[in-house]
Amino acid sequence: MTSYVPYILLLPIAGAAFNILAGRALPRRAVEAVAVFAVFGSCVFAVMALYGMTGPVDVMLFDWISFGSFTAPFTARLDAISATMAVMVTGVSTLIHIYSVGYMADDDGYVRFFALMNLFVFSMLTLVLAGNLPLMYLGWEGVGFCSYGLIGFWYQDTEKATAGRKAFIVTRVGDVAFGVAVIWLYQLTGQTAIAAINQSAQVIPAATVTAIGLLLLFGATGKSAQLPLTVWLPDAMAGPTPVSALIHAATMVTAGVYLLMRMYPLISLSGTAMAAIAAVGALTAFYAATSALGQTDIKRVLAYSTISQIGYMVMGVGAGAVAGPLFHLFSHAFFKALLFLGAGYVIKAMHEEQDIFKMGGLMYRTPLVFVCFLSGALALAAVPGTSGFFSKDEILSAAFNNGSAFYTCIWAIGELTAFITTVYALRLVYLVFTGESKKTPAHVSGLMDYTLIPLALLSLAGGAINAPESWGGGTKLSEALISQGLAPRQFEGGSFGLQALAVLITVAGFATVHYLYAVNPKLREDMAARQAGLMAFLKDGWGLDRLYHAAFVAPYTAASRFLWRDFDEGLIDDSLDNLALATAKVGTWMRSSVTGRMSTYLVSVFLGAAALLAFFAIR
Amino acid sequence: MVPLTHIMALAGVLFFLGAICVVVRRNVLFILIGVEIMLNAAGLTFVAASLRWGAPEGQIFVLFLMAMAASEVSVGLALVVYAHRRKKSVDVDDFNEMKD
Repeated sequence: MTSYVPYILLLPIAGAAFNILAGRALPRRAVEAVAVFAVFGSCVFAVMALYGMTGPVDVMLFDWISFGSFTAPFTARLDAISATMAVMVTGVSTLIHIYSVGYMADDDGYVRFFALMNLFVFSMLTLVLAGNLPLMYLGWEGVGFCSYGLIGFWYQDTEKATAGRKAFIVTRVGDVAFGVAVIWLYQLTGQTAIAAINQSAQVIPAATVTAIGLLLLFGATGKSAQLPLTVWLPDAMAGPTPVSALIHAATMVTAGVYLLMRMYPLISLSGTAMAAIAAVGALTAFYAATSALGQTDIKRVLAYSTISQIGYMVMGVGAGAVAGPLFHLFSHAFFKALLFLGAGYVIKAMHEEQDIFKMGGLMYRTPLVFVCFLSGALALAAVPGTSGFFSKDEILSAAFNNGSAFYTCIWAIGELTAFITTVYALRLVYLVFTGESKKTPAHVSGLMDYTLIPLALLSLAGGAINAPESWGGGTKLSEALISQGLAPRQFEGGSFGLQALAVLITVAGFATVHYLYAVNPKLREDMAARQAGLMAFLKDGWGLDRLYHAAFVAPYTAASRFLWRDFDEGLIDDSLDNLALATAKVGTWMRSSVTGRMSTYLVSVFLGAAALLAFFAIR
Repeated sequence: MVPLTHIMALAGVLFFLGAICVVVRRNVLFILIGVEIMLNAAGLTFVAASLRWGAPEGQIFVLFLMAMAASEVSVGLALVVYAHRRKKSVDVDDFNEMKD
């Protein structure tokens, strides 16, 4: 099975290289076929590698960096976490590539689009399969670059190009912390390989482990859009919708969580770092869920929802679970990719309209998309039996059973957020699909709705990969992780009390939305009108963007302006200019002595001679 | 015997008058005359110094000076005649082409 591993990585990069070099000369269908089949082939090899896996194994492809004792070969490490991640990434990517063929049918930039998408898949697989931290960093930066290129895909629109730059710069803030952690870990352990670092983690002093844990957490907050670095993800929705689905929902944004899960044996040695991780996750989950309530743009609702759901995953890692967050990562990838692709369909059908209050009544016009979107929303709302229900239950159980008062608070925030999640998920469905229709849907490519079906099935039934025994599942994912020593044995989900509470919360959320959006919309409008300030605050994402603008962007701009206008132009340029002007003035003044008259020159000769003589006489 | 300082003062006055003549006059002939007066002021100083220290070189030098003054005047006047032919003028302000 190790012989499959190189092809998992090779196919997407080959597809990208082929399309970059030859894509412009080929017909459109060829470009699309190369891109789709490169990722599909990669998916096939990933599945074969997963099924052939007997235990963790390293596959060295070639020597990448090697000087002195610092070695970072291009090594793919295949274990229960990375192999399942690779299957998920390639599987979801394949579906989204097929969807993109329909979505990008009218766009002329398709070569660049598919080349970047393939390059993204390669970078993401490098990140996932990396056996050492420098290689993981390579993938980490690679996905960041592709994300930047694809958010600003329509770069002629200033707003979209700016969104791309914002995403790149904000995530770069976190990347610095990750980079510092990589170098620090090498300096402490003399190792770059992830498994070796985790094994020798015991020798690192406790305070240092805490510091490294916090650095890794900060790196994760950048890529995974957690507090305090959430602000780039809602703006990242400027990119094409398949990009939002693939990069900004299913795969890249989970890289931060993946990093924390990879380094779990190290991080778990520090209680402080774990508590910080749990707190960041819980606060982000709550913050983003409330912000999602105030959004009117369908993609921004989903963006805040993504931030919130990743907050759950981070919180799960902080609560001492690895299998739970990984499980939620998978179910989230399925249902959020589904919701984004459904949203892309809806936006196309509504003639590029993104405001959910201007939609409605799509239930009967596009029944297939409605059913798929609904299954995604139900999984997001954690309706019992769906994938989201089991995965969220595992994370909340981990927090609840941790015992301490701190983690009980974290759990309480998680449960409260679960209620808000149900409300905003179903609010979306009610506003978009029910009520009277306001527009006649446009024709949309068939590729775009049929790709929703597999994702809908996965959202509904994906819980089977790790369902608790009380539901007839075998917690297969957890067992695989624990048997390979990648996750601690912990209290598993599925306790009756917590599940009953989860059901209660979902029902309460459903009832609230049904009452406010179907039975008595007048009451909702009155409430919204009375709480206009609160709604604006939520829509603004708690004003975080404006805070950062005031705290960082504005001072930076002011400092740049000062250095440019006052320092560079004012001090340096002006002093040089004035020096030149003064020299010119002195020259003009001295030139006036050049009269062209003999007598003037003679007078100066006499005066000079007199001065010389006077000098010698006095001396 | 006349003291050296008196002769030096006379030579200085003569040199100064010659210099004034050269600077103030516009007519090139007067400028040449001014130059001659300055040369003779210098010659007077040489003779006085030769007498004072009993050194004959000063007097010899004045003979050279006279020869030089004679040749200078002949070349100078020839140039003045040539310049007058070109511009019909002996005013030095008409010959200020060095300025530009």
